[in-house]
Amino acid sequence: MADRRLSNTVRTLRFHSGEMTQAELGERIGVTRQTVAAIEQGKYSPTLETAFRIADVFGVALEEVFQWQSSGAS
Amino acid sequence: MAFREKIAWLTLATMLIAYGAYFAVIGPAADFGQGRMVDIIWSFGLVAAAQAVAMIVGAVVLAVLARREAQAPADERDRSIARRGASIGYYVLICGMILVGVVMPFSSPPWKIVNAALAVIVVAEAVHQATILLSYRRGWHG
Repeated sequence: MADRRLSNTVRTLRFHSGEMTQAELGERIGVTRQTVAAIEQGKYSPTLETAFRIADVFGVALEEVFQWQSSGAS
Repeated sequence: MAFREKIAWLTLATMLIAYGAYFAVIGPAADFGQGRMVDIIWSFGLVAAAQAVAMIVGAVVLAVLARREAQAPADERDRSIARRGASIGYYVLICGMILVGVVMPFSSPPWKIVNAALAVIVVAEAVHQATILLSYRRGWHG
């Protein structure tokens, strides 16, 4: 099985959404600020439901938020 | 640091201090109840009560310092990490109890069996809390 990992653009999307804070995003998707920080750092892979909620907050498709990449890819 | 991570640190720290004191100092001083089994209740019981009091006081202080976080319900990551900790701690408990309940009765006196059972419970809980801490620190992709 190829070595792949989940990456995301949550931090960038927050920045482009009027510099939304982690706490604000967390409140809107029903998780804590620390969990948003863990998702951004790649330390936690959210459930599918939370992933869809994040995409919904930013009004983008799920694949614009989360990407399934080879570990060597940037 | 997440509120529940702070609670896990507090639990682990108070456990290591309290039960470290029992198994390293108080237990040996009372011969681990070798003479009178009731000594185990007094020595271990007092240590467990002291740890519980320290936990309650510490948890109240942490909750006051981070009132909003303390009132928030556990989110999906908290629940996932808690499940992982409980699951790994459970396996440690089962293995330890098989040793204590099935193997030790053939070769050990009652006071040793009781203390070994207490040690297994302490170790299983320490593994439970340590797993939670590691999962918060290093990440969890459950």
